[in-house]
Amino acid sequence: MTTIELQHFLAVGAIMFAIGMIGFVTRRNLIVMFLCTELMFQGVAISLIAFSRYNHDMAGQAFVIFVLVIAAAEAALALGLIVLLFRTKNTLDADAWREMKG
Amino acid sequence: MAAVPPSTGFFALGSMVFSPAVLASVASVTDERLTAYISPAVVLVLCVVAGIGTIMLLPGKREIAFRRIGGALLGVAGLLFPAMIYRPGGGHLDAAGVYFWIFSAIAIVAAVRVVTHPRPVYSALYFVLTVFASAGLFILMYAEFMAAALVIIYAGAILITYVFVIMLASSASVPEGKPAAAVLGEYDAVSREPFIACCVGFALMGVLLFVIFDRAHDLRPPSPEPTVDLSNPETIQGTAQSVGNYLFTNQMVSLEVAGVILTIAMVGAIVIARRRVMIGAEDAFEPSAEMSPILTPQDDSPASVPVYGTRNPRQKGHPET
Repeated sequence: MTTIELQHFLAVGAIMFAIGMIGFVTRRNLIVMFLCTELMFQGVAISLIAFSRYNHDMAGQAFVIFVLVIAAAEAALALGLIVLLFRTKNTLDADAWREMKG
Repeated sequence: MAAVPPSTGFFALGSMVFSPAVLASVASVTDERLTAYISPAVVLVLCVVAGIGTIMLLPGKREIAFRRIGGALLGVAGLLFPAMIYRPGGGHLDAAGVYFWIFSAIAIVAAVRVVTHPRPVYSALYFVLTVFASAGLFILMYAEFMAAALVIIYAGAILITYVFVIMLASSASVPEGKPAAAVLGEYDAVSREPFIACCVGFALMGVLLFVIFDRAHDLRPPSPEPTVDLSNPETIQGTAQSVGNYLFTNQMVSLEVAGVILTIAMVGAIVIARRRVMIGAEDAFEPSAEMSPILTPQDDSPASVPVYGTRNPRQKGHPET
């Protein structure tokens, strides 16, 4: 048996998720904030694949496909929004949008 | 293996940071399984050290040396943690183990750099590194189809889009030798609430790691690999076939919904990001004096152009040379 077990992969996924969350809260650049959400997706994907591997169940890998789909859709929409916001205020600062109506 | 000797120094640090009551209560939780792996107090202390390092490393109006100290603290915590959970595998060097440590180290270091680098382009490039390292981890888990999909979709499509948007919406390049904060926007150079964010983030990390290693022995060990008859090619199944079989038998509706979501997202992105052309009163098209009026089809006909110097309407008045 190998020395690398399920919990090692889960630990890597958890660490990447937490790092992504810290980045999402601390960074103020809209683009970097969305990069950090992609980091969190990565952490979750590693955990899912690890469970899939250690249970010999394809559901984990199939779920990673859906995670990738959602990540792609989110990136497309978020980047479209960022381009729109940048044209309006000419800055990428998330704090520039502090006041919003509605 | 109990807590290894390098942790003793951090126990001393932890006893300075935390009251003895907290430490005693934490120490009383330890049972056989936990001490067999890693003590929760060690995880806590390591998370605190890493949190302090991250706070110092995050972009802010501080000296470069200050950030270097933070990076060193984070590196020490990051080296001690694998040293604790490392268990040598019976004398022989395990190839999968070596690759695991390499790939996970690259992935986590690159992830930290994504978060802490002040310039967005470098964040995106470090994220590419994270994606490749995760793909290596996937291959280590025999998920080669997902590894390929990850590299193609993330590094090939999503990250390219990010880099395009960054180039579209970024300022001038930073000259060498100047601090990045002088040229970068304030929103890139100064992070928001690093202390609270690191407290929350590393508390989450500590809880997750604690639970993972607390329940480590309840997790099922990998069941034996299904034997593959290599002489009969019909029976060989890669993960692409397995995932496809699973998706098209168990997750049919979800797959269709995923396709619809992608289509909707594409249409939505185009609708959101298109440039609106206003045709109002101020923007109305007015022909200038120099411009000739738009020709009607009647005017456009060569036979209708007035010809001077000849009476034959089909003959040119002036030679074209």
